[in-house]
Amino acid sequence: MADASLIAIVDDDVSVRQSLPDLVRHFGFKVQAFVSAEEFLASDCVDRTKCLILDIAMPGMSGPDLQRELARRGQKIPIVFITGQADPDLRRQLLAEGAVDCLFKPINTTALLKALNTALGLS
Amino acid sequence: MSQSTCSEPHQSAPACSGFDPSSLTATFGAPCQDGRLLPTVLATLTRHEALLAEIERASSTGGFCWHVYTGKMTCTGEVYRIFELDAAVPMTLQLLGTRVHPDDLPLLHDMTERARMEANGFEYQLRLSLQTVKYLQLNARRSEDADGQSHYIGAIQDVTRRRLSEEALGNMRCELARVARVSSLGVLTASIAHEVNQPLSGIMTNASTCLQMLGADQPDIEGARETARRTIRDGERACEVIARLRALFGKRGGKTESVDFNAVTREVIALSLSELHRRRVTLRTELAEELPAVTGDRVQLQQVILNLLLNAAEAMSGIEDRRRQLLIRTEPEAADRVRLSVQDAGVGFEPHDAERLFQAFYTTKSGGMGIGLSVSRSIIESHGGRLWAEPNAGPGATFAFSLPARKSDCNAKRLGTVLRPAVAERSTRKP
Repeated sequence: MADASLIAIVDDDVSVRQSLPDLVRHFGFKVQAFVSAEEFLASDCVDRTKCLILDIAMPGMSGPDLQRELARRGQKIPIVFITGQADPDLRRQLLAEGAVDCLFKPINTTALLKALNTALGLS
Repeated sequence: MSQSTCSEPHQSAPACSGFDPSSLTATFGAPCQDGRLLPTVLATLTRHEALLAEIERASSTGGFCWHVYTGKMTCTGEVYRIFELDAAVPMTLQLLGTRVHPDDLPLLHDMTERARMEANGFEYQLRLSLQTVKYLQLNARRSEDADGQSHYIGAIQDVTRRRLSEEALGNMRCELARVARVSSLGVLTASIAHEVNQPLSGIMTNASTCLQMLGADQPDIEGARETARRTIRDGERACEVIARLRALFGKRGGKTESVDFNAVTREVIALSLSELHRRRVTLRTELAEELPAVTGDRVQLQQVILNLLLNAAEAMSGIEDRRRQLLIRTEPEAADRVRLSVQDAGVGFEPHDAERLFQAFYTTKSGGMGIGLSVSRSIIESHGGRLWAEPNAGPGATFAFSLPARKSDCNAKRLGTVLRPAVAERSTRKP
């Protein structure tokens, strides 16, 4: 799978960074996990990332902060938000601002795969 | 005013049972030649004794004189009243012993032993087992009579009412502390849910991945094993959260133990970390290595740290123009104390408000009860420590408390210690 798309996961929670990459890899994507938005921005993955799985509440720069920062930079990376705090209002707002999806933890595998496929235009 | 039956025999000698008129001779020298003087002296004495009896009654304090070797004991009326004994009965230590709470009898023996060793004085807290339990404070000091014989003159005070109100106050404080704890549990609910949800979410993802790996055309056994291992790790993580919660919010009476200051600080941080994240607070810790332990109630100390942490986060909630930086530091103070300080970059307070912050029901928060800091201060003070607040040189404030390292007897009273032999040096004087 040489040309597999790169999916970046940004979450401060260690459980997510340990479990999610394997699942996404199993779906057939390449994966890189980051502990913070700052770490992601400082990496060389920004330009290559085809989809971002992004936690909302993080110390320092939050998920929505990163979304705005990427927009400011003109980086059009599709974003799938994941969050432990099920807040339908926030979900609605994030979708309105262009997010592909916003999934509540624990993450439903099928919903995640569907969101990734949508993000990458793979039906 | 009603006179109890036991004080009636004191009509002739109101304050002193076994009053010996010949002691007057000892006090005033030879009997008066002038017969006119005697009634005046007697009247004065009677007046003084009546006054003393009133004072004794008012202060619930009786006096005694105890000859160690003869065992003879002279007591004032108030002692009889306190011990609920008939004043006609000659007083002995054995008789007193019949009224003492069985658990405190060793204290009486201890007292006898000290007296035989010519201790200069002693101080005991005793309980009487009468219809209700009475608490007594006994203080005595040694003196010698003309023959060089030791005796002890002392006072016995009925401190039951004080003791009971102290106990009620202690219970009230515990209850208030519990209320404050539960209300901080309320504040943390969302964070705790988040804290538990994270590993659960990991467990779900791992299990799904595991199934996918096993269900593939070519099952990835090693990958499945690894996801199963991670599932266990996440399960353990969830258990740790629950254990920390139990430790902090479980119902448990005041327990005094040796407490590792840094460890309790870390536990509180672990519990409140996601709450701090949610409030976008960055936390820095500077925990001193090799900090001496303190003695105290672990749960209560954690509660104080949690209060300070949540307060600091709250104080920074409206700050947008600078980092919401929180610093927790533990360090030794002087040679025998440890200090914990929580520094925030929040709204701070005016110097003249420094004391008002600690008043109960003083609050600047809309949802706050205003008991957090006052409860925290009372907890720290009951541990023999001090809690204070000061404005930072820059923005924000620092709240800190210091506690005596390791050896601390501050809770001994509350835990019901009855024996407190005071300065019981041995007499250096020869009898």
